[in-house]
Formats: sequence, C-alpha cells, structure tokens
Amino acid sequence: MKAKNSFHHLLTTSLANFKRNKARTILTSLGIMIGVLSVVLLIALGVGLKNYLKEQFESLGSNLIIIFPGGGFGDNEGGASSFGPGMMGGTDFDEKDVRNLQKIPEADYVVPIFFKSLTIGGGGEKFTGYVEASNEDVFKIMNLTPIAGRVFTKSDVQRKTKNAVLGYVIAENLFTEPAKAVGKTIKISNQRFKVIGVIEKKGDRELDNSAILPYKSTFGNLNPNKTFFTIYLGVNSEKNIETVKQKAEKILLKRYEEDEFSVTEQAEILSTVNQIFNIVNSILIAIGSISLIVGGIGIMNIMYATVTERTKEIGIRRAIGATQKDILNQFLSEAVILSVFGGLLGLVLASLIVLAIRTVFPAAINLLAVVLAFGVSTIIGVFFGVFPARRAAKLTPIEAIRFQ
Amino acid sequence: MAQGKKTNQPIIKLENASKTYYLGDEKVKAVQDVSLEIYKKEYISILGASGSGKSTLMYLIGLLDTPTNGQIFLNNKNISKLTDQQLSELRNEYIGFVFQSFNLINKFTVLENVLLPTQYRKTQLKFNPQKQAETLLKKFGIYDRKDFFPNKISGGQQQRVAIARAIIMNPKIILADEPTGNLDSKTGPEILTILENLHKSFDTTIVMVTHEANIANRAKKHIYIKDGRLAKKYL
Repeated sequence: MKAKNSFHHLLTTSLANFKRNKARTILTSLGIMIGVLSVVLLIALGVGLKNYLKEQFESLGSNLIIIFPGGGFGDNEGGASSFGPGMMGGTDFDEKDVRNLQKIPEADYVVPIFFKSLTIGGGGEKFTGYVEASNEDVFKIMNLTPIAGRVFTKSDVQRKTKNAVLGYVIAENLFTEPAKAVGKTIKISNQRFKVIGVIEKKGDRELDNSAILPYKSTFGNLNPNKTFFTIYLGVNSEKNIETVKQKAEKILLKRYEEDEFSVTEQAEILSTVNQIFNIVNSILIAIGSISLIVGGIGIMNIMYATVTERTKEIGIRRAIGATQKDILNQFLSEAVILSVFGGLLGLVLASLIVLAIRTVFPAAINLLAVVLAFGVSTIIGVFFGVFPARRAAKLTPIEAIRFQ
Repeated sequence: MAQGKKTNQPIIKLENASKTYYLGDEKVKAVQDVSLEIYKKEYISILGASGSGKSTLMYLIGLLDTPTNGQIFLNNKNISKLTDQQLSELRNEYIGFVFQSFNLINKFTVLENVLLPTQYRKTQLKFNPQKQAETLLKKFGIYDRKDFFPNKISGGQQQRVAIARAIIMNPKIILADEPTGNLDSKTGPEILTILENLHKSFDTTIVMVTHEANIANRAKKHIYIKDGRLAKKYL
C-alpha cells in the first residue's frame, strides 16, 4: 500500500507540475515526439519495403534458381549493386546454354528470359512497357494464369508464331477492358503480334506491363544477338536445389569464366536484398535517432531549469521528511513521464501516417517499433533526467529551504 | 526551569554544537559552542536579533543541518553518524516545522499540502491520512478551504495549513521559526494560541524562534542567542 501511495504521489506531483507549465511540457515532449516519430516511421517503411519485396519474390514461386550474368548476388563483391537487367556486367546467355541446362534431370523447367523496354502500340493507343521473351514454361514457373484466352505453347515457340500474351496493366491501357484484348493486334517495333491471352494482375510492375512473346519469335529484329539476360531453373524438389545449382555452375563454367555469371536461388536473393535494406534502414534509423538525442537534451535542459525553480520546494519536502532518494525519484519520474509522453505522441502520429500510406504501400508498425518507442523514450528520460534529478537530490536541505 | 523534565532523558540534546559556513569568502560562525537540552512537553523560545544565529540553531535542532563541530543527540542517539535517509526519516517522525513564510507548496491544494508528510513515511501509517488531515483542517477552521490553493487564502489561513502539515505525523517537537512574522497583529496571536493549545492538549514540545520579546515571553523557557552563542539574557 505504501509503495502504491508513493507512486501515486509521484504521478500527481508530476501532473501538477505539467499542468502549471503546459506550453513548456508540450514543447519539451515535442523533441522526443519528433525523434520517436522519425524512428518509428523509418522502421515502418523498412518493414513495408521488405513486405513488398517478399510479395514480389513469392509471386515467382518456390524452388527457383536464377542465373544472372556477372557477379550477381551472393558473396561476390559489388555483385548486389549490379542488379537489374541491362545493368549487369558479365555475359549474355544463349540457346546453347538453355539446351545444356535442359540436360539437368532435376530441373523441370529451364526458362530463358529476354527483356526489353519499348513502346507498344495497339487499340489506337501507345504504351511504354516491356517485351519479355521466353518459352512456354515461363507461365508455369511464374504462376501466370490467363484471365482470357490462352498462354502460348511449345509449338508457338518452335514455329516462331507472332502470338503475344499481355500483362494485365498493358492490356488495360491499350484496350481498356483487358479481356477484350484477345484476338486484337499489337505492334512492337514495326512487327505485328496477335494477342492470344491476357494474364491476371500480379502486382509486379514489370510483369503487368509486359507483352510476353515466344522467344524465338523475337530473334531478328527485337533480339538480334539471340541472347538472354536471365535463365530461370525450376527445380523438381526443394532438396535438389543445391544439386541443380552445382550442376548448372559446372555446365556454365565450360563456356564462361567464374565471374561472368552467377547461380542464385530465390531465397538467397531475398536475403541479400533484405540485408541491403536492413543496412540502409539502420543507417536511416541511426540518423533519425539524432533527433531523439536532441529531444533528450531538451528534457535535460528543462529539468535543470525546473530544479532551480523548485529549489525552495525541494527544501520544504526535505524538511518534512523527503529523503534524497525521494527527491531523485520525483525529478527522474517527471523526466521519464515527459519523455514517454513524447514517445507516445510520436507513436500515435506515426501510426496515423502509416495507416494513411498503407493504401499504397505495405508499411507496418511492428512490435519492435512500439517497444522501441517506449523503451527508448524511457531510457532517454532516465539518462537525461538523472543528472538534473541528482542535482536536486544533492541540494542540502538548509540551502534549499533558504533559497529565495 | 525544572518544568517539563518529567522524563529523564531529553528528546534533543546539543553538545558544544557549532556551525560555520562560508558566504563567498567570508567565514560565518552562525552558531558557536551551544549546549542545550530539550525535553518532552517543553515550550521554549529562542530569542535573538536578526543575524544572531537563531535560525541556524533551529535548523540544527530540527536535524535539517549538521554541526561543523560538537554533537547532537536525538533520544540519546548521536545523529552525526546517521545517513541522509535516517535523518530524513527522523525529521518525518519527530519534527514538525512551521516557517515564517508558511512554505506551503503552491501547486498543491490545502489538503494535499497537509498530506505531504504522509507521503514520506517509510513505514505503514497508524492512521488514515485523509481523515486525519480533514480532522485537523476542521479543528483549525479551514476545512472549507481544503480544495483551495495556498495563494488563494489569507496568511493566517496559510499558517494554519502549515501547522496542520507540521502536526499530521504527531511529531514530538514543533519548531516554529518566527511563525507570526508575516501575520498582522490580529492573526499573529491566533496562531500562537493554536500552537499553545497543541502544547497543552497533546504535550507537544514547542520551540519557537523569534526576535520579539513579548512573543518569546509567552514561552515557559527562554534561550537567548547573541552572535551565535547562548547568552544569559536578551539584550
């Protein structure tokens, strides 16, 4: 009962002080609020970015091995920064590589990808999208199902038919109603292609904006060098991923140098990308934390002023039996309440902002952010409050009570 | 002089106590070599001119300050060996202060001010603090002011609140430092009467510091102080 009583007294005293200095209280808390707001928002955006990437990768399906030109992902230095079609160093792959890779028994699918950004016309409209040239297995490996028409087959590839499967967004842009694109003609680099199907919306900007063509049909005008940027391997079982990776490397090493290509599994890419974002996010959070420290210094400043202002009160309390510890606790709890109050405000504001942007971006406030907001603001309150509080506690009762 | 010595041991005893402090570079010998004993049920005045060291002496008696030289005993226990916490607890239990300028905390209501000492008791209280505070306020005729802030009531009322705060823990001694100094000629004596009634009804020891001989004369025992030393007579 006694402890509860003391705690209650600490709280009421603190609140009485805040009430008397409303503007000061709010301004002091504002520093912490801004700090917590920026840190929590940065965490939320980081989480959002990770969620976004994860969604993107998950849409690709599992048991996937990706062969990139150049160092690619993994341990190779600078590899990660060279991500992105056309930006990679190293080699381009060709049909011979595809044929060689098809000899791996555990690889169900070998899917070469040629990728190019260009303007596509159709339905009287023009749209800047992508051409993705591949074989019939691309639809299986990427889980692409048509909402209208059909996807192309092996025979389309072999016969070099001028058939195209459109992504949802490009179909919508050219023909307004995506399903009605089937049977229409589109024009790519002066070549006409017939739309035979439209695939469902995947939420992947590149896929949704692509016209997917049988790769042999692009040899010539669109892909004069008959090369591929990437080759996807679909492995029959998760436990064979490592085997397939090794076999693929062995095959490719016969034609290329070690640093001209990289064989990576999907999980690896995701973890590398996540690592990069974690580092970037940590740096941003560290920068955001500077404002927390500034806020803490604000609290310290105000608390020093408060101690001087309330010297007489300290003397009175000491005279009627407050110990040094009582005084220390009093001022420390005021600093912590100020700080946590700021932290709470920051968290609420961050939540509102995250709620607002959630419609366009999967940002999220996780438990870590909440714990951090409270933990850090408490620690800041204690750390920056303890010096002024100790000054208050160390005042001799006699000097304090004589203070005018 | 023998009145009040019904118990054989003093509550507070000063033995050659001196207090020296520095005001800038100047050495101030506020209290020099003072020995005195305060017993239960005594009503003592400490009379001295301004700057005579009477307030410092009161703070020494009230355990708010420690002597530079000499010893202070509370219930025969040498307080110089006690920690800050122990001294604070003794102040809370044994001593009630009444100041010239009331020293109420303005952000707290009258009732909250009276309750303040109960917040610092480290052991379980033997009474209901709320009820006790209200009883005291009723007794001093200021119950209707219990939710007022100190700066909204008169000086006389403030001093009554201060007395209620001083006695809520049932102290053995009330130390009053010029308790009527900020009051007019009507309310001053009223406050003295309240203190004297406490002394009579509850056997509370009262030590009152003053520079006014007529107020000092109301006490039953007189201590004169001049230049920090006990004097035979007030001059």
